[in-house]
Amino acid sequence: MQLYISEKNLKALLDRLIADGMRVVAPRMDAGTPLYGPLTDSAGIVLDQLPRRSAKEAFFPLCEDIMSYEKQGRKVSLTDIDPAGFPETVLVGVRPCDAAAIPVLDAVFSWDYKDEFFLERRRKTTIVGLACTKADDACFCTAVGLSPANPKGSDLFLTPLEGGGYACETFTEKGEALVNANRELFAEPNGSTALPLAEPQTERFDLKKVKAWLDGHFEDPAWDSIAVRCVGCGACAFLCPACHCFDIVDEGTEKAGKRRKNWDACGFWKFTHHASGHNPRDLQPKRYRNRIMHKFKYYDDKFGQTLCSGCGRCIRFCPVGIDIAAIVSEISKK
Amino acid sequence: MHDNPIDTSIYAAVTEAIQGEARRILSEGHVAAVVGYAAARRKGSAQPVVVTRADDAGKLIFSAACVNNLAVYLTKARKEIPKSGKIGIVVKGCDLKALVGLMGESQLKREELYLIGVPCAGVLASTIQPDTALTAGTIAPKCRECDAHLPTGCDFVPARQPVTPELEKHYSAEIARLEAMTPAERWAYWKGQFKKCIKCYACRQVCPFCFCEQCLCDRNKPQMVETTPRPAGNFAWHIVRAMHLAGRCAGCAECERVCPMDIPLNLLNRKMAKELKELYDYEAGFEVREKGPLATYDEKDDQSFIK
Amino acid sequence: MHPEKTKHAFEPKIIAFVCTWCTYAGADLAGTSRMQYPANVRVLKFPCTGRIDPVFILKAFQQGADGVLVSGCHPGDCHYIAGNFHARRRFAAFRKLLEFVGVDLGRLQFSWVSAAEGGKWVEMVTGLTERVRLMGPMQEFKELALEEQWSGAINTPELQEAYNSI
Ligand code: SF4
Ligand code: SF4
Ligand code: SF4
Ligand code: SF4
Repeated sequence: MQLYISEKNLKALLDRLIADGMRVVAPRMDAGTPLYGPLTDSAGIVLDQLPRRSAKEAFFPLCEDIMSYEKQGRKVSLTDIDPAGFPETVLVGVRPCDAAAIPVLDAVFSWDYKDEFFLERRRKTTIVGLACTKADDACFCTAVGLSPANPKGSDLFLTPLEGGGYACETFTEKGEALVNANRELFAEPNGSTALPLAEPQTERFDLKKVKAWLDGHFEDPAWDSIAVRCVGCGACAFLCPACHCFDIVDEGTEKAGKRRKNWDACGFWKFTHHASGHNPRDLQPKRYRNRIMHKFKYYDDKFGQTLCSGCGRCIRFCPVGIDIAAIVSEISKK
Repeated sequence: MHDNPIDTSIYAAVTEAIQGEARRILSEGHVAAVVGYAAARRKGSAQPVVVTRADDAGKLIFSAACVNNLAVYLTKARKEIPKSGKIGIVVKGCDLKALVGLMGESQLKREELYLIGVPCAGVLASTIQPDTALTAGTIAPKCRECDAHLPTGCDFVPARQPVTPELEKHYSAEIARLEAMTPAERWAYWKGQFKKCIKCYACRQVCPFCFCEQCLCDRNKPQMVETTPRPAGNFAWHIVRAMHLAGRCAGCAECERVCPMDIPLNLLNRKMAKELKELYDYEAGFEVREKGPLATYDEKDDQSFIK
Repeated sequence: MHPEKTKHAFEPKIIAFVCTWCTYAGADLAGTSRMQYPANVRVLKFPCTGRIDPVFILKAFQQGADGVLVSGCHPGDCHYIAGNFHARRRFAAFRKLLEFVGVDLGRLQFSWVSAAEGGKWVEMVTGLTERVRLMGPMQEFKELALEEQWSGAINTPELQEAYNSI
């Protein structure tokens, strides 16, 4: 279904959804930083910049309770969190790189174990994607086979038009349902052309070649020279729309507490640290190697997909300037 | 004016001098490696590099994008840097203060280092877009109140004089603004900032002084600080971080620069530095001191707050 | 004779971190001399004030304390010679930090109480308890403990109810 919606009507749509009790999550300013979060009204929406954290947190929160315990005398009572109670959500203004990573995450969260926390939020969320008209030299979606207009992962996709408003295309039943319930806010396409899309990178990585090199070079001196500068923080993984590692911790007192699930990252020294004290990834280059291997080899081996959508966040925010696009480009030329 | 350019014309000559000196000390065998900066793919960008061969000395640069405090590579990441022999390192004045602090804490020995000091007019506040001109608006807040444009006590410093215009101070103004608030307002301000924290620990990992093998905040037996990035755990983490760096922080502001959530972390450290200066007349500087202000005492210390 | 106990609407929870040699002995003396002081205080004993890490104070507030008292030997009387001198600097810095993040310092009291000062111990505990009682409960850390990131928050009424019932 191809339609048109004006900026004014898009805001009217969001306000109506909010008034109806729907949770509308979109980029907005949070203490000076653009982040996704629930809107209280459409005025707060910020659509002109890529949010600092990716959209994955709408499905995979940086921290969530999964269980709680309480001890009364000798009796211990456990209460599970029931995902059935998660709210219906419309996620708005998701950039193509963020949206494309969501189906990539589906694979891992519904593989051997069905993660109901992720899947229930996924079922209850309608994703409204938004094409990019701006890019910087850290963006590289085009290099990994996506593009600033790619609707992968979006239920409904908006493309900004010359002279204002958006072309709106639906791709799933969820997207159609959202449009049909608010049909009068949408108009027939008015023939105006789309704003020029961003062109982030002219290079197209040969991902097959990259994988072929990785297949044979688990041990290679290149890892040392690439990762000698890595300081082992979690910035890259935490900002990444596709990274999905988590840690489970019990927090509380002996009387009562919660079991919590929070983001983890393979760059941390503790990630593979064994209780015995042994650490198979004892030096940072081995940890960084895992990042590249997981994204461009292991995930492909298992799910036939690449665990990177080229958003460039890890490049912009790496404290020591490690540039994954430069690294993959170099590997593809080996 | 915010877009007034800062003169960085000496950086080309500084780059050349660093390259020449690195080439010399590597080829003459004075050092096993030089830790410095090299250009990277993105236009205008720079990243830390370890050069071990004289032939590679030409990779070294200095520019307004050379923001990192490389001292961190001499403590935490030490295992990854070749160990044998002396290490050469490129340092700005602020970085040198950190190295001096680390020597005071017996983490480093002066005789194992070859210090290449940089006459520095300032660096960028952020390298999210490295291809940015250095101006009164884009310069790092720490550089606005820097007293260390010319490092002293190094083995080599290119003979250049940086031009450093007087700029409005940032941290002192922010500290004063916060001090003037009521406790409830301050609490609300920090709560809003800390809430954003994702516990990526970039701030900790880049800090030269956070060299503990295992951080208190990673321990779970006993768990003093919640490891989850919830508002409560975040608040505790930031209080512990500020306290553990009190009297040690050299003010390089790396923590604040790298925070992907824009939390003004160095404000806390600088507030502590200000208090310790007032209380015990201690300040980070170029002179190695055996004990920081919280590692020593004076019988006559102020105790007006104790009943 | 026990004096009539006055009922208060709010009984603050006070945590006292004390050193074993001086203040603990002082508190003990107050007890054996049958001096009266508010029962609001829970005493935690340490070898020395030098062992009282600021993180303990933080933890106390996080776990629901409305006020914290830290007390040890007078300068010069430290069983370990200089533990309290080191502690003095650390606490001086820590209270500045707490103040800067917005904690009202009225809830935090430091004191020197020797083994012979049972009366001073009573005075310290009573003073802090009464002051904190007037200030009301320490809400900040308690509220913080209940807050979640939006993405992990359980905000449907049903779930909230199930959650609150435990
Ligand atoms: S790259 Fe690392 S943090 Fe990201 S999903 Fe893979 S193992 Fe996890
Ligand atoms: S603080 Fe001083 S020495 Fe450090 S980068 Fe800024 S101007 Fe250079
Ligand atoms: S760098 Fe920022 S987001 Fe990361 S742990 Fe530090 S304060 Fe938190
Ligand atoms: S606390 Fe921040 S400013 Fe201080 S030394 Fe560490 S990284 Fe530098």
